[in-house]
Amino acid sequence: MPPRSVMVLGSGPIVIGQAAEFDYAGVQACRALREEGLRVILVNSNPATIMTDPQIADAVYLEPLTVDSVERIIAKERPDALLPTLGGQTGLNLAVELDDAGVLNTYGVALLGTPIATIKLAEDRDLFKKKMLEIGEPVAESEIVTDIEHGVRFARRAGYPLVVRPAYTLGGTGGGIVRDETELRETLDAGLNASLIGQALLETSLLGWKEIEYEVLRDGAGNCIVVCNMENIDPVGVHTGDSIVVAPSQTLSDVEYQMLRTASINVIRALNVQGGCNIQFALHPDRSEYAIIEVNPRVSRSSALASKATGYPIAKVSTRIALGQTLDVIPNPVTGVTTAAYEPTLDYCVVKIPRWPFDKFPLADTHLGTQMKSTGEAMGIGRTFGDALMKAVRGLDLKRQTLTCAEFRSWSDVELNDVIVYATHERLFAIAEVLRRAGTQTAAAIERIHAASAIDRFWLYEFAEIVAQESAKVELPPAAFRMVDTAAAEFPARSPYYYISRGESDEMRKTPSQAVVVVGSGPIRIGQGIEFDYSCVHAAWALKAAGYSPVVINNNPETVSTDFDVSDVLVFEPPGADEVEAVYRATGARGVMLAFGGQTAINLAAELNRRGVTIVGSDRASLDMAEDREQFDAALARLGVARPQGKAARSFREARAIARELGFPVLVRPSFVLGGRAMEIVYNEGQLASYAESAPPILPDAPLLVDKYLQGMEVEVDAVFDGDDILIPGIFEHIERAGIHSGDSISVYPTQSLSDATRDRIVEVTTSIARELRIRGLINIQFVVHDGSLYIIEANPRASRTVPIIQKATGINIVDAATRIALGEKLRDMPYGSGLSPRVPFVVVKIPVFSFAKMRGVETVLGPEMKSTGEVLGIDATFAGALRKGFIGAGIRVPDRDGKMLVSIAEEEKAASVPIMRRYRELGFTLFATDGTHRVLAAAGIACTRINKIAQGSPHVVDLIHERGVDLVVNDAKGPREVSDGYRIRRAAVEASIACLTSLDTANALAEALEHRAGPPRSLQEYHATTLAARG
Amino acid sequence: MTIPAALFLADGSRFDGAGLRHEGIALGEAVFYTGMTGYEEALTDPSYAGQILTFTYPMIGNYGVSGTAAQHPRPCVTGTIIKRIARHPSHYLSKRDLGGWLDEQRIPTMIDADTRAITIALREHGTIWAALAVGESALLDAERRLVEFTRTASTKELVPSVSVAREHREGVRGGPRIALVDCGVKRAILRDLTALGAEIDVLPYDASAQDILAHDPQAIFVSPGPGDPTDLPGTIETLRALLGKKPLFGICLGHQLLALACGARTYKLPYGHRGGNQPVKDHVRNDVIITAHNHGYAVDAASLPPELEATMTNLNDGTNEGFHHRRLPIAAVQFHPEASPGPSDAKRLFAQWFDLAGIAHR
Repeated sequence: MPPRSVMVLGSGPIVIGQAAEFDYAGVQACRALREEGLRVILVNSNPATIMTDPQIADAVYLEPLTVDSVERIIAKERPDALLPTLGGQTGLNLAVELDDAGVLNTYGVALLGTPIATIKLAEDRDLFKKKMLEIGEPVAESEIVTDIEHGVRFARRAGYPLVVRPAYTLGGTGGGIVRDETELRETLDAGLNASLIGQALLETSLLGWKEIEYEVLRDGAGNCIVVCNMENIDPVGVHTGDSIVVAPSQTLSDVEYQMLRTASINVIRALNVQGGCNIQFALHPDRSEYAIIEVNPRVSRSSALASKATGYPIAKVSTRIALGQTLDVIPNPVTGVTTAAYEPTLDYCVVKIPRWPFDKFPLADTHLGTQMKSTGEAMGIGRTFGDALMKAVRGLDLKRQTLTCAEFRSWSDVELNDVIVYATHERLFAIAEVLRRAGTQTAAAIERIHAASAIDRFWLYEFAEIVAQESAKVELPPAAFRMVDTAAAEFPARSPYYYISRGESDEMRKTPSQAVVVVGSGPIRIGQGIEFDYSCVHAAWALKAAGYSPVVINNNPETVSTDFDVSDVLVFEPPGADEVEAVYRATGARGVMLAFGGQTAINLAAELNRRGVTIVGSDRASLDMAEDREQFDAALARLGVARPQGKAARSFREARAIARELGFPVLVRPSFVLGGRAMEIVYNEGQLASYAESAPPILPDAPLLVDKYLQGMEVEVDAVFDGDDILIPGIFEHIERAGIHSGDSISVYPTQSLSDATRDRIVEVTTSIARELRIRGLINIQFVVHDGSLYIIEANPRASRTVPIIQKATGINIVDAATRIALGEKLRDMPYGSGLSPRVPFVVVKIPVFSFAKMRGVETVLGPEMKSTGEVLGIDATFAGALRKGFIGAGIRVPDRDGKMLVSIAEEEKAASVPIMRRYRELGFTLFATDGTHRVLAAAGIACTRINKIAQGSPHVVDLIHERGVDLVVNDAKGPREVSDGYRIRRAAVEASIACLTSLDTANALAEALEHRAGPPRSLQEYHATTLAARG
Repeated sequence: MTIPAALFLADGSRFDGAGLRHEGIALGEAVFYTGMTGYEEALTDPSYAGQILTFTYPMIGNYGVSGTAAQHPRPCVTGTIIKRIARHPSHYLSKRDLGGWLDEQRIPTMIDADTRAITIALREHGTIWAALAVGESALLDAERRLVEFTRTASTKELVPSVSVAREHREGVRGGPRIALVDCGVKRAILRDLTALGAEIDVLPYDASAQDILAHDPQAIFVSPGPGDPTDLPGTIETLRALLGKKPLFGICLGHQLLALACGARTYKLPYGHRGGNQPVKDHVRNDVIITAHNHGYAVDAASLPPELEATMTNLNDGTNEGFHHRRLPIAAVQFHPEASPGPSDAKRLFAQWFDLAGIAHR
């Protein structure tokens, strides 16, 4: 019997290796299921996603993605079926666990699409290898190991280098290339620990072979198509998520292309995959030989890339296949006629370049290997490789317009060569610099680079040509819009999906209504994540609802905003001034909206204004007033609103003078930045001096801001203002005291401890600032409550990270309101009300999620610079229940009772830690503490065991962590101390997957969560119904 | 110094680009190929004889010219159009760069052209006579030459220009004997028949039924080739005479010729199928395969006589892709099971046909 209700599992918080691509896939899946008339039950703990909007599924559960939590939802909803292949590795692993735990069987839930047996086969290296040998497909010589000694024995036989690939992990967590026994032992230890089943594969390295991927679809009847193939410019050795990837392959002959295509089909058939599948090959560069590297029997980052690269909606078609439909009856969504049973052919080239977070983590190891480190990616579409590559380079939003960059001029040849041999995120630019230095000796330089990197000469000659042309100034031909039609123009298409090709004929069609351009936020990076895409998508929907034609410009292939279903016109281009202007003029748009695309879009305001492009919503003057310290201070002075004292410094010398005047500690940060980049609290002149050494240079138009640092409770609001009325759907309160970036703080709505007077003052101040800044749309303001007084920290005239959360919590669509205000409507004509909205009768808690395990060496202490990659939401009737769900959703695994914890507290905070540690004692925790902390706790009558500091010799704190002798580490630290004991404790905890909290406020919140039970799961729709009921 | 070049279509439109070094005028039908790889195979595919071939994929020549991929001893196109040609190909099998080879082979070639605009024009207008001019003097002459050509052009000489002049034998000595009527065969077909262990007598397109039967073949294959099947009434007559005498199999033009021999009709497609991504539904196996195509004409499925059964259909436009005879070992497909270029989903067909004809194979 066909199912009537289906549960879809999302992928949870954004972490390195699992990003917005699963929101895109999930949204397509839910849409396809509902088109078939099915009731859709969605579970995903990530609130920044479109998929968790109440209009996407019939019941949306923002609940933890654990067996326990999902079982409760299954028991309540009793879905007929489960679709697990769209939620990344998280969704897939959870489905396997649910099956193993007998949950699916107990509740009679059928699994749709690719069977569990296939998932296990593809994930279990040993079974997979046997299957491949059985069908005659080559795999690299390898051995499955579950302990280190076994690995060492294999290595002695097979030789180095070897690749370590832990089973059941995402983004290659814990894996790597090892060159000797020491490296093997270290990497294998981490890898076995990261693996869900304590298993890793050791594989003879195919280093230097071409890495090629195929995206294949297979239906239940056995029909197979290849949607796209892709070639990694970085040969085998660099994770595909960290590689520069080109679609379609460029250096493969037809014989090779078809050889791997046929192999892909053999594999997907043998595995009985039903839906999408990604297959990675290593292809020998000098002979006709290949080996299968790995198979992912699900939609993936690569399938999102392939979908955007070709226009073929893999997730949507996979979902229909899971429902039992065959490719030849699924309608073709691009042409509107014919079927999904065809293979796209491209008449352009696509290049993806990863975006790495190393700018955030100065201590991180920037070498690229089998463990993915990038947070996002930029894609470029061009008629030629060079066009596409440069669009991707510009699209990274690194202020790099060319392949050769001034910052590499000072590198020595040796430094450049090092980066080329041992790949880092700068390899592309290092190659360009070497080619520039080579002058006319290109061929010789290319041979050297090829020998050092194994990068195919084809790419190197392409780079050389780009470098050669950079010196020649040429006038850009006019922009023409070209359609992505999946068919190389063989058939007329109706997909409104375009890219720019200069100097060619134009195909842009008239929009059905008056166009308005929504500018996207580009690649996902720390500080500018999926939440901005959420706002862009809502803005597009709001425009459509208001009778306009939304035109989206963005270059992030993972996201929902770059699904051509979202807008009337999608232009896949970097959101830069040239491109936005071209789109604005070509569509005859009424204006462009910058407020939803994060700082990337906001930064275009001045240039677009200069070019005469109309900005709808808050205009350039508002943006300047909020961003320019002096203008903003003047505005606050006029309003009588306090802010921490501070000044703008135009040199580090000036900064020191200001700091002396204000008194330490001070908060320093460059203006016009996002995610608190290069923001630090400095406690003395020495720290300020070392900040000056490591921080980016102060630019004339972007001075350094130096503020008095006030410790207190941080509060945040998102509001919309129409010139007359304000709407504040809610106020967030942060758990951690000011000083930790708002993106890294736990935040709570409704507020739990804010006084009515302060609340009223917040509403008053928010209104007057919105009026003073002449806001027309969204504004986000962060406050600190210090000694009972309200100070403003910053105001952003745009959508913020918290917009999706407040929309989900309150059901008030403030992006819709902001969009309509930008177009001239008034709040009083909308159904959203005005003023501060009533509190909801439940609590939501946002908890940040970090990807520290992926980033060897990075400091995990939280501060004013943002470090989290994603977030989860806990929703419950009580604060403690919401906290509890949030911590569970964020992957903090600490036993409720009788756990073991290690405590090491900074001197200033020792006294404050006592009541918190007492709570843990009362929960039955065994406490281990280092000297000083031990003394303070013992003196307060809290039983705890003293443990050696590292210098005091083994067994010491780090040994305790390595032996996994504790379940929790609380290690509070002040200021940068990246070489201290604390740093080693924190890194050891991260590597051992032990929860490590660096703020006492967080530890206190965790205790609160452990002390209480959470309520039963409820859907967002049910929560919204309780809100409506409470409001009568 | 760039050499100017332009494509002139018979409807008066013109597309500009740059020429390679070989200057001259190519006259023929303007068509486009949508495969992203396989340029060497395509340029040497005899079915492109008399045609000016535009590659829709914009970067061509990346892996050079190997010689091993060639389907015919020389390129068969009259001219070719490319968006961007690789000056520095990279592949272990590459013997030389594509541009150098095209010049050496004296094929007028335009590069840096807006190939997508050309493709859209061909899609909208349909296949059309055209002149590709490379070089100043060629450009001056092109329009006049095109007018003249349009008046007199015919596809009749295409098959004779690519068929073997004299019969010869290939394949596995002593293997089951196959007669192949060569209307413009691709090396890949001979390769695949050889792989099955066959000994192949390659015969000219105008070999008589007696000539063919004199080789005592266990089956007769009719090859692909260029142009309009109705240009070959003699071959059609020959095939008609062979019906019921020997197992008969046809590919592409061979499929059309066999259909005509059995009494069906063929017609010209608006702009043909040329590429490697055509979905074909097999009604017998009830599955879909992706196939390689290169044809401008099609068999009218409605005209198939009662003894022929349509077995395959193109999912894009519903054209006939294959038929078999209800009683006799006769079968044919419109697409290219030998691929080269293109996907090899249909590779099994050769063995299936051998089975149908009762021929033991490897």
